Amino acid sequence: MEIDEHIGCAMSGLTADARTLVEHGRVETQNHRFSYNEPMSVESTTQALCDLALRFGEGDEESMSRPFGVSLLIAGHDESGPCLYHTDPSGTFWQCDAKAIGSGSEGADTSLQEHFNKNMTLEEAETLALSTLKQVMEEKVTSSNVDIAKVAPKYHLYSPEEVEAVIQRL
Amino acid sequence: MRSWKLAKMSMVFAPRLAESAPTSHVGASWSPYDNNGGTCVAIAGADYCVIAADTRMSTGFSILTRDYSKIHHITEKCVLASSGFQADVRSLQKNLDARHQIYQHQHSKQMSCPAMAQLLSNTLYYKRFFPYYSFNVLGGLDNEGKGCVYTYDAVGSYERSGYSSQGSGQTLIMPVLDNQLKSASPLVLPPRESSTPLTESEAVDLIKDTFASAAERDIYTGDGVEIVIINKEGIRRETMALKRD
Repeated sequence: MEIDEHIGCAMSGLTADARTLVEHGRVETQNHRFSYNEPMSVESTTQALCDLALRFGEGDEESMSRPFGVSLLIAGHDESGPCLYHTDPSGTFWQCDAKAIGSGSEGADTSLQEHFNKNMTLEEAETLALSTLKQVMEEKVTSSNVDIAKVAPKYHLYSPEEVEAVIQRL
Repeated sequence: MRSWKLAKMSMVFAPRLAESAPTSHVGASWSPYDNNGGTCVAIAGADYCVIAADTRMSTGFSILTRDYSKIHHITEKCVLASSGFQADVRSLQKNLDARHQIYQHQHSKQMSCPAMAQLLSNTLYYKRFFPYYSFNVLGGLDNEGKGCVYTYDAVGSYERSGYSSQGSGQTLIMPVLDNQLKSASPLVLPPRESSTPLTESEAVDLIKDTFASAAERDIYTGDGVEIVIINKEGIRRETMALKRD
């Protein structure tokens, strides 16, 4: 989902909880633009989401009595270049070059570690991401059961045709 | 008969001009604001910014001090000059400093000049119904290292331009700057380059000349002028004496 035009995120876990976090992220980034006339850095956005995760929500009435059961991958592009952060329900976040989350994440992480290098082009990254997904998915990868989004430097969610084009290259 | 009745009615309904109202309106009542006078000017160049303000602080027709700085360094690259009511100016400066510190803690970096410009606008508008009596000029270097100058009114309306002046000598100085710095004028449409083609030393000389001229005619401007120059090497300060009359 898009958080701001330069930040997007992917979720794994209780995706209903993720929507609250994403909404909070959207409000924070727009507040920042209003106050400072500049895009919020990806790390600060991640920090804002983790602050919410730590408090189990905001305020007296809206706060939950359980943690947010969701991990997020926050991808964005700010003045320090493209970056990726991984958050979990404890409110901790890590910066990564490549990461997989979810049920097949262990195998996918290993695969990413073998094949990732810092000088990959966007096309190579698309292919790597999709082929890693293919390995851990039980069903066949098609344009209707896979979503791809990129932040390069603006957020863009691929149309089914664009996804199909990447699938063809696998 | 009818005319006598009308006359009686008009006496009842006519205002009582002879008596005065119970509360007298003679003299000024207490005002939360005062004007301490003074003038601020800023000029933006391709890779520098010059901000200047006179050092006289007055109240009414008296001088409070000849050596008061209206210039405040908020960040490494951003300087605020304000004329008007100096108590409100000081409070505004402290507010911005506090907000800048919080920003540095949250985002691990200094605020850029455009970000500070927006923050100042929002801070001023926050007190829309009891304003800071402060006429501000913000100057500094933007994210690319180009000079930038932002002018404000008392409630936060702002614009980036190549040069600006505020305060009691504004009406004397602004036309001179418009004449000398035509291309960077905010009056030119479509808006062109928001920095002047002058060199740094030419801009400083222009500022000294304009303040000397303003001090001749504006009673609230004089004693001295403090000039702050920001460029990639850092921040530098110069002073010049003005007429003390």
